[in-house]
Amino acid sequence: MSAPFFKYGLFGSEASLIVAVFIGIGFGFFLERAGFGSARKLAAQFYFTDMTVLKVMFTAIVTAMVGVYYLSVFGVLDLSLVYLTPTYLAPQIAGGLILGFGFVVGGYCPGTACVSASTGRYDGWIYVGGLFAGILFFGEVFHWVEKFYASTPMGQVTLPQLLHMPYGLLVFLVCVMAVGAFAAAEWGEKKMAAKKEGK
Amino acid sequence: MTMKILNSLKRQSLNTKLALALLLLGFLAIFAGDPYGNAKTEIDAKELALIVDKQVDHIAAEELADWIIQNRADYRLVDLRTEEEFTTYHIPTAENIPLAGLIDGGLQRNEKIVLYSEGGIHSAQAWFLLKAKGYKAVYMLFGGLEEWKDRVLFPAVPENPTPEQLAAFAKIKEVSKYFGGTPQSGAGSVSAQPKTEMPKLSLPAGGAAPKPQAKKEKRGLLI
Repeated sequence: MSAPFFKYGLFGSEASLIVAVFIGIGFGFFLERAGFGSARKLAAQFYFTDMTVLKVMFTAIVTAMVGVYYLSVFGVLDLSLVYLTPTYLAPQIAGGLILGFGFVVGGYCPGTACVSASTGRYDGWIYVGGLFAGILFFGEVFHWVEKFYASTPMGQVTLPQLLHMPYGLLVFLVCVMAVGAFAAAEWGEKKMAAKKEGK
Repeated sequence: MTMKILNSLKRQSLNTKLALALLLLGFLAIFAGDPYGNAKTEIDAKELALIVDKQVDHIAAEELADWIIQNRADYRLVDLRTEEEFTTYHIPTAENIPLAGLIDGGLQRNEKIVLYSEGGIHSAQAWFLLKAKGYKAVYMLFGGLEEWKDRVLFPAVPENPTPEQLAAFAKIKEVSKYFGGTPQSGAGSVSAQPKTEMPKLSLPAGGAAPKPQAKKEKRGLLI
């Protein structure tokens, strides 16, 4: 059996919505289990007292990367059929900054806001409300920002293409980066905890 | 020595073990090669032969005409000819994807795809190409654009028609007019010159060459 399943026609568009519901529930479940339903836990990231967000997210990234890489090498997954979001460098940097700003101020990102709302937290509900208001606002002002929105297009690029680097080498470098980040996060947490006790 | 390493490994926390496993997999990845182009799709030659034999991979020109009139949107009509030919005339709702760009042409494996070319050979080749690449629902317009002209744009009544054939012609006459064609009326009226001006597209129509009507015997060669 070859993956991606949808592109190989294992199920159609309608069934894919059902699959998406289950994947979404799974995603939300693990976010919640990681403690991401709490704005306090998420915000602690920015004070370096609790690096769970970095650890969980980076773990997910490297697990997926190694999995996708080896499945493709063994011919189970056709990587060329996996959809890549096209890169628009300047607008995506701006978007990232806006998202980061909202994350620091409110303590949630869009996914964790939904997790928080579904566990019944009021701040989560307010956040989700703001999310929809933001989408509506963006839709209304879209023709003002449309030019910027489509500027600096780079197409569907990947890091190995951009850096002219063998794919496997990049996989290795990201793995090293992840392990380094985990070690640094653990070290930082201990340091901050000691500082707190010393006070 | 190995026992010593294994023992010290056992004493490590789960996180350390996972981190070491990750580094090992990452290191091996340097030598594992390129992830692209390894996916194999098996060609079931027997299954393909059966499909060809039963001719279930064909769509008749009249059937396609019906689909277009009904405005059906559950399939994609692909014109495999060159851009120039496509601009001159194409079947309404068709999109132009020349044979060379077929695999990167944005077609999905789970879509219903109807291919056509001038005759039937290119679409048959494209059909095999897509089938071999794992596309599920690929069909060909039987006889290609030639057949579309003969059956839909410029239909003619056969000589000495039976009542059924006359009734069928009455229906296809309307279909033909819908697509801007010219039904070749008057069975047996030898004097009537076949008028086969290609319908004008909204696109700038190039030299729409009138097609001689004497190509019927070629049908045996078409897939």
